[in-house]
Amino acid sequence: MPNNELFILSVLTISILCILINLLVYLTIRKAIDLKRREKIEKYKEIYNPLIFQLLTEGSYSRKLTPESPLQQKAIEELLSRYANVLEGEEERKRLTEFASMHLTEYYRKRLKSKKWSTRMNTLYHIDDFNMISLLDDVYGLTKKNRLSHEELVHILRILALFQFQPLFQLLTNNYQYLSEYDYRHILIRLEKKQFDQFVLHFHKAELPLQKAVLEVISIKRERSYLPFIENSILINTGEVKLRSLKALAEIGYVKNINPYLDLLYSTKWEERMIAAKLIGSLKVEKAMPRLIELLHDQTWWVRYQAGQSICQFANGKDILRKVLETSKDVFAKDMAWEWLHKGV
Amino acid sequence: MPFFQWEDIVTAFTLFIAVYMVIVILFYTVILLISILQLRKEYKLDRVQVYEDYMEGIYTKPVSIIVPAYNEEAGIVHSVRSLLSVNYPAFEVIVVNDGSTDHTLDKMIDHYDMQEIKKVVRKQINTKPIGKIYQSAIFSNLFLIDKENGGKADALNVGLNFSHYPYFCSLDGDSVLEQDAFLKVMKPIIDSNEEVIASGGSVRIANGCQIQNGRIQKIALSDKPLVVMQIIEYLRAFLMGRIGLSRHNLLLIISGAFGVFSKSWVVAAGGYRTDTVGEDMELVVRMHRLLKEKGQKKKIVYVPDPVCWTEVPEDTTFLRRQRRRWHRGLFESLWIHRKLTFNPKYGSIGLLAFPYFWIVEFFGPIIELFGYIFMLLCLFLGGIYIEFAILLFLLSLLYGSIFSMAAVLLEEWSLTKYPKVSDIIKLFLYSLTETIWYRPMTVIWRCEGIWQMLKGDTSWGEMKRKGVSE
Repeated sequence: MPNNELFILSVLTISILCILINLLVYLTIRKAIDLKRREKIEKYKEIYNPLIFQLLTEGSYSRKLTPESPLQQKAIEELLSRYANVLEGEEERKRLTEFASMHLTEYYRKRLKSKKWSTRMNTLYHIDDFNMISLLDDVYGLTKKNRLSHEELVHILRILALFQFQPLFQLLTNNYQYLSEYDYRHILIRLEKKQFDQFVLHFHKAELPLQKAVLEVISIKRERSYLPFIENSILINTGEVKLRSLKALAEIGYVKNINPYLDLLYSTKWEERMIAAKLIGSLKVEKAMPRLIELLHDQTWWVRYQAGQSICQFANGKDILRKVLETSKDVFAKDMAWEWLHKGV
Repeated sequence: MPFFQWEDIVTAFTLFIAVYMVIVILFYTVILLISILQLRKEYKLDRVQVYEDYMEGIYTKPVSIIVPAYNEEAGIVHSVRSLLSVNYPAFEVIVVNDGSTDHTLDKMIDHYDMQEIKKVVRKQINTKPIGKIYQSAIFSNLFLIDKENGGKADALNVGLNFSHYPYFCSLDGDSVLEQDAFLKVMKPIIDSNEEVIASGGSVRIANGCQIQNGRIQKIALSDKPLVVMQIIEYLRAFLMGRIGLSRHNLLLIISGAFGVFSKSWVVAAGGYRTDTVGEDMELVVRMHRLLKEKGQKKKIVYVPDPVCWTEVPEDTTFLRRQRRRWHRGLFESLWIHRKLTFNPKYGSIGLLAFPYFWIVEFFGPIIELFGYIFMLLCLFLGGIYIEFAILLFLLSLLYGSIFSMAAVLLEEWSLTKYPKVSDIIKLFLYSLTETIWYRPMTVIWRCEGIWQMLKGDTSWGEMKRKGVSE
């Protein structure tokens, strides 16, 4: 066996050993430093906690609450985050925002420019939590950066929505038309009515994901003032937009004139039959009851299921279901009636 | 042997082993690099913040949690209680009593005041017949189904038929969930707007930790060498392997201990197969296959956050059975879908993932075993320099440790679960010894698994649990 092969192997072995030792040293030192840091932060938190609590609940400001070192800032940040999640009162929230803006604005301004993705993301989360409108320009400025990750972008837009930032409409309709419905919904849900109305007006020109998001937000908020818009949308649209509009209508649970929707109970599309049945249930339209009972025999499980639920919503619903159970010859209808009668708790 | 000298065999075999090792090391190194890049990006990301948004009910999608239970009277009440307290806005718990012969059913009925209900179950997947269905009078989202014994996969299928929600989670009876487990694994599904159809998380080892009322109280490293070795193994498998594979949608395994799936896709694929011991892997492979055959661009992903803690065997008897079973499960999944191997029609799954699982995971132990036997033969028959052998041995010992320590490094960068400096040193020292005892042992067990299969032995090898919860 030639010696130089042995030599190569020895070199390899020694270099791997070196890497291993370096790794070990790095890991242990890192762990030790981390543990120390954590200990210090916990100590600061103990000192600051009562002071911050006082500040938030009574508005009395203590001189001792001026974080200087990064560790102190971290301690304050952690405490504020915890409070931001539990505070309910308007006044307390305002104090929290004020305090955060006073002590953390500069710190966050720098961190937003960090090269590390995770640092920027964490900072965005905190700006969002503490409602730090003082950083609006900095956050908006980030949108002009090249190479923005998708998560960052969506979060930035959400923060802008939280601040009711005027040009957001332009941004979403001109610059960012490729977002998903889910992303749009995440952003739009935070808008106040005045801002949101812009999107409703723009609806017919919008791309499908944005349209779906607008309808979804309306159904979540159950905003009655959009009824004319929704009813119009049902009339002029087809396919998924029409279905979503119907769903929003069922969520709002109110219409002036039910007649146009009764036809949908006979639609050839099962989705439309299902949502129409849902609408009838939430409006409790007596005259549609015979059709609802028919729908208990529908060929699609979802329609039968919804029909059962809708019948249940009527005052005499249980009696009707019982009658179906006793008289019907259709096994599927019987099963569904049974299920809704014995829906348990 | 007139034509072949022993020396020729030695040279040929050494060459073969060398080429094989280079391939394996390359595979691992690439996967490690991908994982490092991914985790480094998320270095120090505040994960709690990230999940907070998802608690708002309007964004989340409801999940059905299916718990197959076979003779689990000792732990079932505890497990269910811990499940009912998970942090998620909308879910239901479905316990499927798989024809237990002990008091699993009575315990559930007593403890949660289960009332019989009549419900129409849509039979989307064929299963063994089911008996009574119960709903708890205390928690309206807790259900119990009694059925004939048919194995874990069959019980899961029953739960699937019964479940009301679009996503379901399969769960091992005795694992302890992290409070935010569902938020963590559902995040990619919600974020991707349902492009992700299955998602799994890291499984950690509960032995050595303090657990009360189904919650982890204190994380600590076990004192038992066998457990520490398994911890290193799990870290390596999850943090290194799966992040790397998941990044390129090559993930073929979502641990049976915890994973969330889109119900419609699982139903489309036909549910769990009841005739394999590796039903969890087989399902994932089948779903991948279905996606490719339908030309869909859906994904199956893995999130590095730990989602559940599970008890691993503490003695060799049970570990041996487990490893034999795993290896057989691996083979069955690969064999059932052998058509995919090197099949360009199935894209990266056929060209990368399948070869990886065949070459590294399945044939690895056989080749390693031959390596050990070969080494021994050489010592007796000569043909190899002793210095050479020692160096090779040292090298394999060290390179194994490098991957183990890299996994510890990834853990420290991302999740930092083990609290003490001494834990790291302990993990390091143990990882150095792996090649001497743990590795050969598992290699032999896995080869035994193959042997058993060849003999046609179908015994199961259940794991005995001593119960981790206090």
